[in-house]
Amino acid sequence: MVIMRIIWFASQIAFFGLIASRMVAVEDYFRYYVGGLSVMTLYSAAVFIGFDIYEEAEHGVFEYLLSLPVTRRQLVLGRSIGGGLRAFIYVGPLICISLYVIGIVNPLNFLLALFSLFLFAFGVSGMSITLAVVIKSSDRFDILMGVLDALIVRLSTAMYPLSFVKEANPIYGWIANFNPVTYAAELFRWGAGVESILSFENPLLPLLGIVLFFGFFMFVGIVLYDKSIEGGGWR
Amino acid sequence: MKNIVYILENDFRNFFRYKWWLVGLVSMNLTDLFIMAIVYNRMLNPEILQQIKSYFNFFAPGLTVTGLFASAFMIGREVNMEKRREVHQYLLSLPMGRVELALGRVLSGGLRGMVYMSPLLATCFAFVGFPTLYQFLLILLVLFFLAVGISGLSIAIAVSTKSIDKFVTARGLVYYLLFFCSSVFYPLSLIEQLGREGRFPMPLVTFARVNPLSNASNLIRSFLLGTPPFSMEMIISVMTFSAVFTFFAAFAYIKLIERA
Repeated sequence: MVIMRIIWFASQIAFFGLIASRMVAVEDYFRYYVGGLSVMTLYSAAVFIGFDIYEEAEHGVFEYLLSLPVTRRQLVLGRSIGGGLRAFIYVGPLICISLYVIGIVNPLNFLLALFSLFLFAFGVSGMSITLAVVIKSSDRFDILMGVLDALIVRLSTAMYPLSFVKEANPIYGWIANFNPVTYAAELFRWGAGVESILSFENPLLPLLGIVLFFGFFMFVGIVLYDKSIEGGGWR
Repeated sequence: MKNIVYILENDFRNFFRYKWWLVGLVSMNLTDLFIMAIVYNRMLNPEILQQIKSYFNFFAPGLTVTGLFASAFMIGREVNMEKRREVHQYLLSLPMGRVELALGRVLSGGLRGMVYMSPLLATCFAFVGFPTLYQFLLILLVLFFLAVGISGLSIAIAVSTKSIDKFVTARGLVYYLLFFCSSVFYPLSLIEQLGREGRFPMPLVTFARVNPLSNASNLIRSFLLGTPPFSMEMIISVMTFSAVFTFFAAFAYIKLIERA
């Protein structure tokens, strides 16, 4: 799976990024696209924790986890952070390739962007766990995550600047404006110094958006996980 | 012939077991068309805009071909799984010839691709324009041959790889090379221009020109949009690809499952 992602990432940069940058009239689009690509990959990797929940339920690992001397809250929090960290380790080399292509202008900005990407990955893991617990069917979850992935990535600024999304369709623009992938992509570009087409003048706004996203899914995840796992409710 | 029909029936039953997965895949493809293509439409540089007029119209035929590719390729995953779980022993014990078995598998992969692709092609016609009856039949014929070729390619990879990981990796390589090094997402002229500037290896430029995905997309575009102009090369490229991989896959399938 890791090799598959690396092939996807490399072909996106070497083929799509390079050729599409010639097709569009957006200044510095190649670097813009590579920045967004890193966030798209991080999102896809962080979502994987939800699939683990089904596998654990199927193989009886759930009972073992519940028997551990940790509270339900600690369990959810640990899973979300673990899922986010795992995604980060997995995507880390790809982010390094992106940075090699884009370059870093201000290391301090980049550290803040990196921190926000951590929160973003934890939030996505929390969201994936929440949906996995609510849906309870691995097939339905698989489909929903596929559709959600397509919608959440395309209705964001991961691939194109917000002004064009708004111009194409105001509803798309409105959704992209409140999309956590937009916040993560914008902060990553800001941190790496791709500032020519940033959608937010103040980087604190997307940072606040990511903190809220992380907080919301952490809270909802804890509550739902807590309620649904008692009495074999995960089956 | 009757035995091939049984194989088709069996593979179609398997295909429709994943109906919700297929619904998800169609909706993802439509998301590409109705969100990504519409936004890119606004971003095109004036030179390209003059050449292709609308990215939405340009991309719709390309998306149909990628949908066809992805669904026709699914048969490989099943063949690989059958090999790993030794279901092929059961298939070999069935009262039918090896050639019938192999051709049935290749053909069913192609037909499944056609079934999956049809709503995407209908969407393409509805939004871009309708071809004449002759053009429509030619499009269907070329897409069918493309689907059979892809199915053959996928089966050839599936029987030559022992583990699912190796199959998935090989599939990824083939997928992305054929998808991105083609005119599915962008005009061929851009790839050729990058090649002339030395920013893109010339062998890849040649590959993009002969890529059956490029030719099938361009064939639909030539009929619906009038550009690029229709040429027999488009049909010859797809037919050659299909003939090579159908026979290669049938041969590899027979030899390798007997040996496994």
